[in-house]
Amino acid sequence: MDNAPQAHGNAPADGSPMLLLENVHKSFGSLEVLSGVDLEVNKGEVVCVIGPSGSGKSTLLRCINLLEPPNKGTIYLEGQKITGRKARDGVDFVRRRVGMVFQQFNLFPHMTALQNVCIAQRTVLERSGEEAREKAHGLLERVGLSDKVNEYPDRLSGGQQQRVAIARALAMDPSVMLFDEVTSALDPELVKEVLDVVGELAEEGMTMVVVTHEMRFAADVGHRVAFMDGGTVLEFGTPGEVLGAPKHARTKRFLGLVLGE
Amino acid sequence: MDFIRDYYFDFTIMGDEFGRVFDGFVLTLQLSIVAGVLSLAWGLVLALVRQLPGKPLAPLRWLAIGYIDALRGIPMLLVLFLVSGFLSVAASPVGGEILPREIGIPTWFGMTSPFWYGVISLTLTYGAYMAEVYRAGIEAVPHGQMEAARSLGMSHGKAMRHVIVPQAVRKVIPPLLNDFIALMKDTSLVSVIGALEVVQVGNDIQNEQINGSGLVLGALFFLAITIPLARLVDYLIAKQQRRTQRSGGGDEDEPEESGPAPMPTGLAGA
Repeated sequence: MDNAPQAHGNAPADGSPMLLLENVHKSFGSLEVLSGVDLEVNKGEVVCVIGPSGSGKSTLLRCINLLEPPNKGTIYLEGQKITGRKARDGVDFVRRRVGMVFQQFNLFPHMTALQNVCIAQRTVLERSGEEAREKAHGLLERVGLSDKVNEYPDRLSGGQQQRVAIARALAMDPSVMLFDEVTSALDPELVKEVLDVVGELAEEGMTMVVVTHEMRFAADVGHRVAFMDGGTVLEFGTPGEVLGAPKHARTKRFLGLVLGE
Repeated sequence: MDFIRDYYFDFTIMGDEFGRVFDGFVLTLQLSIVAGVLSLAWGLVLALVRQLPGKPLAPLRWLAIGYIDALRGIPMLLVLFLVSGFLSVAASPVGGEILPREIGIPTWFGMTSPFWYGVISLTLTYGAYMAEVYRAGIEAVPHGQMEAARSLGMSHGKAMRHVIVPQAVRKVIPPLLNDFIALMKDTSLVSVIGALEVVQVGNDIQNEQINGSGLVLGALFFLAITIPLARLVDYLIAKQQRRTQRSGGGDEDEPEESGPAPMPTGLAGA
């Protein structure tokens, strides 16, 4: 922690990182997907996670918001330990602070865009209908969808659905946002509209962990880049370090394959 | 041939007995609707208990599974005898009057106790069938829906209530209607404990007049309800399939589309 690169913004009260992972392990049966991940994310920082399929990137995000509780290791959010014994309190604490956007959008198909953004505000944060709608309108406008407020998801393009999903997560006022390959399910021409929204969030100082295959995006928007392979973070540094001058042969090979196209 | 025509289609008898048969059919409808609504609710409760998460609640899940298996595995008529026998005896001096009379021999809302024994038995049995239908619907909702709801901070219960169950119910309306049709036909079993529903009335007429026209009239009453319902089921299934094919979002893994088409469970009774 002491040798952390200069953060973009201030860390939580006691100066610890917004998010800190120590030696996180996760197995499914005999398959070890995460074998000792260390990662730290400071307030206002954008960490992009890259790596080959099956390297554990998505599982890492799912561990951070406890959709998959880690088997071993410790995760701190805002300096609070969220794994281990008191995991049950941990879940509420975490889910109220961490927003997540999924590869498959996972919008609620029986609700309009507006209702998608309102439902958790109403049921979890217990905001009034008016307050929730006002917030939702503002967020949908921010992601460029003020004309789609009353549309159902099946009437929206993939890019539009994903932007609704981002608005839905933001409506909970998260302090960390997790993005899990949010453009992988999109047609190529729809990728930019989603990445632009994510980029704007980064500029506004949102703390984010972004799993992505978009190397350009990682280089342009990421403050730091983590390269994962075989369930561990192999390299962690500025985009210039990891993408520009990788130290590990595996990182070089991966980048060669991805950028060589 | 004339004998067959006169035995089943004696319009004079049908005209004379119309009121009696109609009254019987009204009772059939009352049984069907009251037991149908209660079965829908009881089935949903059973399905939700069966889906409760976590280890501490496992005994409740087993209880629900055991109940559903048991009630689906025994004839509704047997349930009817068990329920009516137990309740009426428990409220009588023979049973030590362990139940108050108004519960053991219920006459709520002006209906007879055989009516209520029938409602209870039909609900116990068809609740189990409908629980299985709800379960299929809940399991057909993509896993990502629960994850999205949980990631937004919803509890399991809130996610079920606002996200999963509304989608599940939409998927299973056709098979639930099929179960309702089966329930409606099984109301005729309640005649054996003395309910004057339409089949009993028709058979009384047959015994009195040595003529089956009253039963045929009763059959026509049934068909007037069940055939439109069956058509409605087909229409709803076709509509859902059209919706599934119209992949609006443009991506093959559209969450809503991955559920199986609702299964037509046929008109099988208990």
